[in-house]
Amino acid sequence: MPLGVSMFLSLRGVTRRFGSVLAVDHVDLDLSEGEFVCFLGPSGCGKTTLLRLVAGLEILDEGEILLEETDLSGLPARKRNFGVVFQSYSLFPNLTVARNIAYGLECRKWAKAKIEARVGEMLDLVHLGQHAEKHPHELSGGMQQRVALARALAPEPSVLLLDEPLSALDAKVRESLRGEISELQRRLGITTIMVTHDQDEAMEMADRIVAMNRGRIEQVGSAEELYWEPATRFVGEFIGRINVLSASELRAGFDGPPGETALAIRPEHVVLSEDGAHSGTVRKVAFLGNTMRLGVEAGGQEIEIEVHGRRRRMNVGDTVTFDLPADRVRRLAVSSR
Amino acid sequence: MSVGAPTVRASRLPDSDRLFGVFTVGATGLLLVTFVLIPLWAILKNSFVTPEGIGLDNFARYFADARFITVVGNTFEVGISVTLTTLVLAYGFAYAIQRTCMPFKGVLRIIALLPVFSPSLVQALGLQFLLGRNGFVNRTFGTEIDIYGFWGIFISDAVYAFPHAFLILSTALAVADARLYESAETLGAGPWRIFRTVTLPGTRYGIASAAFVVFTIVITDFGNPVVIGGNYSVLAVEIYNQVSGQANFAMGAVIGVLLLLPAALAVTGEKWIARRQFASLTSQSVPLVPRPNPARDIAWFAYSVLVALAILSLVAIVIYASFVRLWPYNLSFSLRHYEFDVQNGIQPLWTSISVAIVTALLAIVFVTGAAYANHAFPMRASRILYFLAILPAAVPGMVLGLGYILAFNTPGQPVYLIYDTILIIAVCNVYHYHAQGFLLATTNIKQISSTFDEASATLGATKLRTVWRVTLPMIWPTVLAVGVFFFMRAMVTLSAVIFLITPSTQLAAVSVLYLDDRGALNQAAAFAVCIMATVVAFLVLTQLALRLAGIRGVNLVR
Ligand SMILES: Nc1ncnc2c1ncn2[C@@H]1O[C@H](COP(=O)(O)OP(=O)(O)O)[C@@H](O)[C@H]1O
Ligand SMILES: [Mg+2]
Repeated sequence: MPLGVSMFLSLRGVTRRFGSVLAVDHVDLDLSEGEFVCFLGPSGCGKTTLLRLVAGLEILDEGEILLEETDLSGLPARKRNFGVVFQSYSLFPNLTVARNIAYGLECRKWAKAKIEARVGEMLDLVHLGQHAEKHPHELSGGMQQRVALARALAPEPSVLLLDEPLSALDAKVRESLRGEISELQRRLGITTIMVTHDQDEAMEMADRIVAMNRGRIEQVGSAEELYWEPATRFVGEFIGRINVLSASELRAGFDGPPGETALAIRPEHVVLSEDGAHSGTVRKVAFLGNTMRLGVEAGGQEIEIEVHGRRRRMNVGDTVTFDLPADRVRRLAVSSR
Repeated sequence: MSVGAPTVRASRLPDSDRLFGVFTVGATGLLLVTFVLIPLWAILKNSFVTPEGIGLDNFARYFADARFITVVGNTFEVGISVTLTTLVLAYGFAYAIQRTCMPFKGVLRIIALLPVFSPSLVQALGLQFLLGRNGFVNRTFGTEIDIYGFWGIFISDAVYAFPHAFLILSTALAVADARLYESAETLGAGPWRIFRTVTLPGTRYGIASAAFVVFTIVITDFGNPVVIGGNYSVLAVEIYNQVSGQANFAMGAVIGVLLLLPAALAVTGEKWIARRQFASLTSQSVPLVPRPNPARDIAWFAYSVLVALAILSLVAIVIYASFVRLWPYNLSFSLRHYEFDVQNGIQPLWTSISVAIVTALLAIVFVTGAAYANHAFPMRASRILYFLAILPAAVPGMVLGLGYILAFNTPGQPVYLIYDTILIIAVCNVYHYHAQGFLLATTNIKQISSTFDEASATLGATKLRTVWRVTLPMIWPTVLAVGVFFFMRAMVTLSAVIFLITPSTQLAAVSVLYLDDRGALNQAAAFAVCIMATVVAFLVLTQLALRLAGIRGVNLVR
């Protein structure tokens, strides 16, 4: 991204420690206005902490967070005007749905009539108009999360922050809410960060994915970029499946000393052919409908091979030959730094 | 990546949340220092300061008197013997309630808690009617039992401390892992063996905790020993004798320190145990549900009824004696003791109720406020604040009361403005029972998830608004329970406030003491009945109001 172009939200060297644990380790990231970004990574990698730092719910140990060139450190969560949706819906149990949505507007001292209009508008937006006077415990989990979304969006926040908003819901509700959140985000054009550990969710919803590991960013890019051009071994293994070539026999022909970089290829890129350069023995066969996944032992390691639309049966113990197309073998950094 | 663009800092105006935090923490700290630390300091100062300077002279003078050494010995004798007895009796009772299928558990439980609703001297009063010189037993059977002295204190304090031990042991016995019992049974262990190897070890923290609590209660109790101790004096009574009888404040302070030490040690021990106990609970255990076993259930029922009758008899005989013409000579029914035509008449009861209401209101604001401040604003000062908040648990009432005289009874200083009013009595009550109220509130505040606070903050609410709109609506049953607890304590307490009353701010519990002292036993009984009736009526009314408001499941007595 060209220097000098001012970004909407910028994180620079953002760091947070808990005792000796480096929860977030010098993170740099730029978001443009209206973008939908997902923090993706395994549990404990620091996604929530990073989001909470942006929200102002945690205090930065180092670094700065800028919103349109303004440093936010020192500005408490209350004054940031960011909408936050938590994993546990955290609706106020003593207030009705309507009062929950009105809460942020009352804090901003909006006029009564204006509040009422805005609450109605938000209720329509999340299709909960007829539930305005109910209390949170009378609603299903999915409905509660929609109220939480409406409550966060009502005060017209400049950024929307979502911490695993769907992970407490069952699969079917999750599916429909994914679509609903994406659509809302696009319609309102609000800059959004969502935390998730579910790669499908991230790939389906996000404009850009921030892959995180151990408090650091491993790679930032679109779902396609992360899948086709993983920069690090971690990203390759976390998003989709990948074979890391360790046997010297399989690495032959690809330069570079082993250790510093890993050579890797996705299972669907390995080509089975009658006169392939490598041969191996089938150890596992999994038939998955239109695809078949083979575990093949070759050169002392196991290689996963995915085959599409093949009719002929394979059996454990069969010998197969295959090629590792050079343009499909990727050189992955062991870590981002 | 370094972008050289200059950045603008968001404004760093004094944040209202920070101001609110500094204010609540500061105010709480200031109040605790004023009403706990300064009185304690006054006691220490007075015990060490002599006309010749600072030193141990006062203590040397104390221990030079053989009588005083006996008093220390007496205090420990009563403390240890009552602790052991109460533990055994209460353990059996709690076991019967939690681990058997005996009938009438609810009623038995309420009877076991009865002593909490009455001033500590009521047990001794009842014992006088029952076993005193002209008591029921001596007159009926022609015996000559002399109850004044060790045995009087022993029995009345055992009854007084019983509910406290029962509550702790009952909680300890309520949590049990059924899997342990099943495996012990399948291994062929008999009931006695199971009890020794599974039940007893499983409740050892509860037992230790109850032991410390009972010991503290007994050595610091004033009401029962002053009524039935006779010549057998204990430290708490001795403070009273030195201060009220001889105006010897230095000696009072010395005895105060002597009483403070074991009490503080016992409370420290209890806190230490409580922390271990918490760590030993696991979430995966399978709860134990007692199965019916007629022979065992009947045996435990018989035991529990016996204990309950013993407790009940002391209360019942006080009520009975309040309605007879002249105990024990004329037992015809009479209401004349309820005319209260002596001293200030019924006025002390109204004063007590006013004090109790003021105490409850102050506690609702300042004790729950302290719990909130400690929870919501973690600062470097928080640990100190927490320590100050639970410190009063280690301070015997007599010591706190004397501390108030020594610290505040000097014209010209701010607290003197409320001295000799019911306000100082209410404040003393609030800080006397601060630890219990604070822990009750803290436990409940901790249970509400912090995401409500955070959600509220991200929506733009100040902490003050969050408290008002979110926190309070969620914890008000606890706030109410704190108020009820302090109301009850204020109605029945005797020890701290006895030093703070004046003729115009006389309290009901003190009236019972004075009437008893003058030999007006029937009137003392009537006054005691009024106190108990007020406490029970208050509880019933509050519970009823909650019902009418459609609120259920609020536990007011804890
Ligand atoms: N309040 C806290 N106190 C101590 N350690 C914490 C706290 N919050 C998070 N951590 C630690 O920081 C690391 C990152 O946690 P988190 O941001 O919650 O990860 P994620 O959301 O990716 O699962 C973890 O090791 C976690 O144990
Ligand atoms: Mg998380």
